[in-house]
Amino acid sequence: MASILIVDDEKVVCKSCERILKPEGHNVDSALSGEEALDKIEKKKYEVVITDLKMPGIDGMKLLNIVKEKYEKVDVIMITGYASIDTSVEAMKLGAFDYVPKPFTPEELRNVIERALERRRLLEEERDKARRTYVRFEYTMPDNLYYLPEHAWAKLEQDGNVIAGIDDLFQKSVGKIINIKLPDVGDSVEQGKLCSEIEDVSRRIHKLWSPISGEIIEINDKLGSDPSLLNSDPYGQGWIIRVAPSEPEGELKNLIYGEALIKWWLRREIIEKKEDKYLQVSALDPGFKYEIAEQPGGENIKVCFGCGVCTASCPVREIDDTYNPRKIIRMALLGMRDAVLKSAFIWLCSTCYTCTERCPQGVKFTDVINAIKNIAVKEGYIHPALRMQAELLEKEGRLYEIGDFDNKRREKINLPKVHSEKNAISEIFKVSGFKEIMEKEA
Amino acid sequence: MEYALFLGCTVPARARNYELSTRRVAEALGIELVDLDGFVCCGFPIKSVHYESFLLTAAKNLILAEEKGLDICALCSACTSMLTEVNKELGENNELREKVLKKLGVKKKFRFKHAIRVKHFARLLYEDVGIDKIKSKLQKDLSPLKIAAHYGCHYLKPSDIYDNFDDPEHPKSLDELIEATGAATVNYENKNLCCGAGTLAFDENIAFSMSGKKLSSIKDTGADAISLICPFCSVMYDNNQPSIESKFNKRYNLPVLYYPQLLGLALGISEKELGFNMNRVKVTSLLEKLKQ
Repeated sequence: MASILIVDDEKVVCKSCERILKPEGHNVDSALSGEEALDKIEKKKYEVVITDLKMPGIDGMKLLNIVKEKYEKVDVIMITGYASIDTSVEAMKLGAFDYVPKPFTPEELRNVIERALERRRLLEEERDKARRTYVRFEYTMPDNLYYLPEHAWAKLEQDGNVIAGIDDLFQKSVGKIINIKLPDVGDSVEQGKLCSEIEDVSRRIHKLWSPISGEIIEINDKLGSDPSLLNSDPYGQGWIIRVAPSEPEGELKNLIYGEALIKWWLRREIIEKKEDKYLQVSALDPGFKYEIAEQPGGENIKVCFGCGVCTASCPVREIDDTYNPRKIIRMALLGMRDAVLKSAFIWLCSTCYTCTERCPQGVKFTDVINAIKNIAVKEGYIHPALRMQAELLEKEGRLYEIGDFDNKRREKINLPKVHSEKNAISEIFKVSGFKEIMEKEA
Repeated sequence: MEYALFLGCTVPARARNYELSTRRVAEALGIELVDLDGFVCCGFPIKSVHYESFLLTAAKNLILAEEKGLDICALCSACTSMLTEVNKELGENNELREKVLKKLGVKKKFRFKHAIRVKHFARLLYEDVGIDKIKSKLQKDLSPLKIAAHYGCHYLKPSDIYDNFDDPEHPKSLDELIEATGAATVNYENKNLCCGAGTLAFDENIAFSMSGKKLSSIKDTGADAISLICPFCSVMYDNNQPSIESKFNKRYNLPVLYYPQLLGLALGISEKELGFNMNRVKVTSLLEKLKQ
């Protein structure tokens, strides 16, 4: 159960929220202004703050801003009149969990709280998994979509129509979906207003706000018979509506576009002073995957669909889970160039080729990791052991020098003399440009 | 049956027992292994740091063999894999071939894949000599021995460069070669597990844990020895066996034989000529078993 703070300048609204939430076992307090709310938040830890948007003094938006800046982990839910839907979309961009339009039923309020708490649980679980680095990227979404954060997505199609669906974290916090109430073809939808209702396995109804306004020209009929598509493939087969948008240019700007969304997530983490755990936005290089694909052996990296066979088959991973082929590919695809190239784990491949043999997509990970290492070397991150080997090869033409002493030992057991091949590889390093790289790094 | 013998870096320096036994076995079976001056490293250590240098290095070796009109026989599985890969790549990719020849300053046309083949000595025994011929030459009964085959990785992988020779997930060629000597083979858990040598220079714990896991699995079967065909693998299981034992507080005392050493015994070649004195884990008890 959670500690919840209700903020509304109308006492009657506070009281009615308390009446709805207290029987659920929540610890509920009320504040009649933004100022009072901040005072209470400073003194007591709340998981959820429910605030009215329009209040004298510190209003809902200002309160949201301050809370998100100072107490990032607190979930803020906005109570809005229908007239302020535009502001609600803006509020979600600023980090509000969701909004509840007035008038609302007790069930509507209870459900949105339940979903917020479930989402908190999911995120905590992820955070606790040994404080794994980059956990938030488990939730990273496709990068060519427009998002109403943690709620819905929209995709602009080539013909100008827009398809829309639910976001991955939304479906995760709802849990198993057993039914969806779809609108009809020909209906109009408005950005930020109800477009569909989703029923979870506990028969709770969750409202889905449309990310775009316009006329519905198609609905995904498959969802009627198989709503589980919303859970299994929220960005693909689980799409919900296709809309002829009425004002796409202005409205898409209200949403957050793919790559920017990653930044949006990161900003929140950075506020939590965890920069070291999560990469800085400036470190993301969307061209990294193309750079790898241009290297011999890196060609297929982009077709990885993340099934994890490589990781499951990797004998190094079994011993040391800092080496995780699937994760390395994900990081590369996300453009975490610096984090990958500077890491110690890229040098741990045993080149057993098991991942390469088993990949259903033909991604040759053994070659991909070599391509990554080649790039790392160009950037000055050659592993000292490999540098030493390269220097030996340059000097001797082989990894072990075979001098007179060794040849005498060989002769004793009737093995032929091995001739020195000094300079042979040093010449190769010159024409290939590797010598220059080594000198630059030395 | 004439091949250019590609020793690579590790064999002539750290696996002379492998080289010696291979040469003696080849003589006994009528395989002529020719030593060419000018072979250098296969390129394996530089593949991960500078691909083009790797290509040029491997190509230099292949050109030398093609010039002499000889197929290559390699003893190290990594050398086999690297040379096979580049031979295939340069044989099929005209543009890359031209570029490589130009960089190496080679004027003559070399065709790579279409001119010469690269084979591991074990594959050569399996395909070119054949199990039947091997059996026909046996002098000594090895049937008291139980042997665990260790295939390693590069002998069969990546499979797309090996023209479907053997099955990397369910390999059988080395088991059949061992059985051809009269010795029995054992099946064991983790049979396809890598020896870990590729990680030794970077993380000893990973390398030793991987080797230790396999040594334990093999020890559990009651096998008399491991038989393998790669000097890297032998460095892990033989040379490093005492270190692995002390790290994990275990006692394996498991002899590690290069396959040509085992085959040489069956062909009646003397123990000295097979270099058993150079094995780190003593093979005395195993040899005694054969004398009983």
